[in-house]
Amino acid sequence: MSNSVFSVISRFVEEYRSSTPNKLKMIDAYLLYILLTGVFQFLYCVLVGTFPFNSFLSGFISCVGSFILAVCLRIQINPQNKRDFLTVSPERAFADFLFAHTILHLVIVNFVG
Amino acid sequence: MAHLCLFSLLALSLVLKTQALTPTHHLTTTDVARLQAVLSQPFTDLKSAYYSVVGLSKLGIFVADADETCRFIKSNLDPSSVESLFYAAEASQALPGCEIPVSNDTRDLLLATVSEDSTASQIHQSVSTLSSLGLPLASQEVVSALKARISKEDNVLTIILALQTASRLSQQAELGDILEEIEDLAARLDDLGGVYLQFEEGLEATALFVSAAYALSDHVDMEPPLKEDQVIQLVNSIFSKKSWDSLSEAFSVASAAESLSNNRFHVPVIVSAQGPAAISHSQPFLRLQVTDVLCQPLSSASVLVESASATSSKSAILSQAPFTLRDGIFELNFMSSKPASGYYQFSIAIAGDSRFVANHVELKVKVSTRVSINNMDLSVVDKDQSIGPKTTRVEYPTKAKASFMADSHQNFAMTFQLVDETTGVELTPHQTFVRLHNQKTGQEVVFVAEPDSKNLYKFELDTTERKTEFDSISGTYALYLMVGDATLENPILWNVADVVLKFLDEEAPSTIQAKTLYTPKPEIQHLFREPEKKPPTVVSNAFTALVLSPFLLLLILWFKLGANISNFTLSPSTILFHIGHAAMLGLMYVYWTHLNMFQTLKYLAIIGSLTFLAGNRMLAQKAVKRIAAEQSSRLAKYRSLR
Repeated sequence: MSNSVFSVISRFVEEYRSSTPNKLKMIDAYLLYILLTGVFQFLYCVLVGTFPFNSFLSGFISCVGSFILAVCLRIQINPQNKRDFLTVSPERAFADFLFAHTILHLVIVNFVG
Repeated sequence: MAHLCLFSLLALSLVLKTQALTPTHHLTTTDVARLQAVLSQPFTDLKSAYYSVVGLSKLGIFVADADETCRFIKSNLDPSSVESLFYAAEASQALPGCEIPVSNDTRDLLLATVSEDSTASQIHQSVSTLSSLGLPLASQEVVSALKARISKEDNVLTIILALQTASRLSQQAELGDILEEIEDLAARLDDLGGVYLQFEEGLEATALFVSAAYALSDHVDMEPPLKEDQVIQLVNSIFSKKSWDSLSEAFSVASAAESLSNNRFHVPVIVSAQGPAAISHSQPFLRLQVTDVLCQPLSSASVLVESASATSSKSAILSQAPFTLRDGIFELNFMSSKPASGYYQFSIAIAGDSRFVANHVELKVKVSTRVSINNMDLSVVDKDQSIGPKTTRVEYPTKAKASFMADSHQNFAMTFQLVDETTGVELTPHQTFVRLHNQKTGQEVVFVAEPDSKNLYKFELDTTERKTEFDSISGTYALYLMVGDATLENPILWNVADVVLKFLDEEAPSTIQAKTLYTPKPEIQHLFREPEKKPPTVVSNAFTALVLSPFLLLLILWFKLGANISNFTLSPSTILFHIGHAAMLGLMYVYWTHLNMFQTLKYLAIIGSLTFLAGNRMLAQKAVKRIAAEQSSRLAKYRSLR
């Protein structure tokens, strides 16, 4: 059982390394970073306490929101999905990404206190 | 005799309302004197002279210098004015030996005024003048003029003037219709709380109505259609005001008072006790004043007590006992019936004249007595009753020579009897208190002595039972007996004896502090909300580092993946875009530290629009480049395939 899981994982990693274009890999790295940041914030809250609760929420929402927006960007940029996004060019996707982030950060900074 | 009326003010509360009304407001002698003073003011013109002279004559008082007044009237008379003639004529009637000269023109003027076109007051004035001056007038014409006037102007004052005018006409005239107006007018009176009856036009109108109605009723010798209760309510309304705004108001009150005391049908009777209605052995007579509304005593009246009964037991003491008249005061020796002390309800009837109104009065009379204490026995009883009690008898008002000792094994007891001094009947006053006063500490404790079935008062003090009241403070207490009641003339405060009380386990403080109600209380310190406990700085610093560490990981990963800025074109739009973007991020930081939302939005709008334009241009250029690169690669692939 574990053997098959291990083989599936190694196959997946191999596939990923070879077939994913570089741009997408960079976005994936960014996604990993956001994820880790969110996890560490949550860990702090669980261990130490929720004292400035609004700050915790703000930070956590920031991670979640950024993750979501990055995923959207990745989906829109991926050339394999080009047929689904005929009207959206990669540049347009990036511009949307930046605009959404501006609004997200405005809200976050307002809430962080 | 006049000053006796003064005390009737105090007696207002004693005249209670029963089935028939009795007056709650009436004039006292001082009020009558005040009324007289108002009317005696020196007059300035003919109108005020009329009010003064005629008003005073209604009170039975004649002006001092009649000749001077007569001269004044004659000199101020204006023969061409009906009003002036009226005032002069009426005033001269009240003055002895004063005659107004009358000319034919005057008479013609007066007769001409009697018509439908004149106002009611003009008709009244001319008719009164004609009748005062003894000139003939046609009564029937007057009646028809009045009737026409009433039908045109249906207000209260017009009808009152019509009534007054009709009373000056000959008795043969048909005054029936005008007489009916009294009843209609009476229906227009406002009943206020069942106590007052008055016109909304005010006191003057009500008073003038009363005098006019009785004047006309006397003139035609027919009883006015006013019920007894209505008469009393009118009395209350008219005589409730004790100071009058104007001469005309005072005049109207005086004429109403005169008509109510002198008419042929209704004479309201005012009954008041002289002083408080309290009787005792030293004061055995119940004294009553019986007067009319002008505070004049009714000597023709005979006052009778219909029944007198005790309020508590309702047993009748007196029945049909007459009052005797002495010096204008009616008195009755109530103590001769030997009443027990207490309150009695008297029902008094005033007879002697069929005109009397409100001649049944209820009065509450108090009979007081003196109390004496008999058989005051003080004893100390052992709790287990192994040793017999030692009884000491003390006589009022002496104090027991020896002091009594009571501790936890003994009770202190006291018995006594309260009797009426003269009759020896046992009494149960409202207040029988035993007060123990500690002279050293100033503490006092009060107990109630209760009577048993045989009206023997007993008081027992058990030291162990009562130690909380005493705060367990042992010592010498002075014992006082306090007896009081509303019907007792001699309330008693008697220091009977000294009692030494011994309490076990003395835990109270040696001195008693006065109750600390009004001393400053301890200050309350406000506790602000405690800030929440923060974790130690080390922990938060550690976690800050931990949270920032993925950024390093990101940079490492990107470096490994081969991220570079080799495609960075140095076009103005690119630079502007990057600067603008950096500025937006910097604005976020500044917003966090300094700004509020509105300022941020303002700056964001500016920077954002710049960044957008630059970014748009930059991305468009990039797109163009990308499409060109794609096309060339496709072209290369196509060429290689061929």
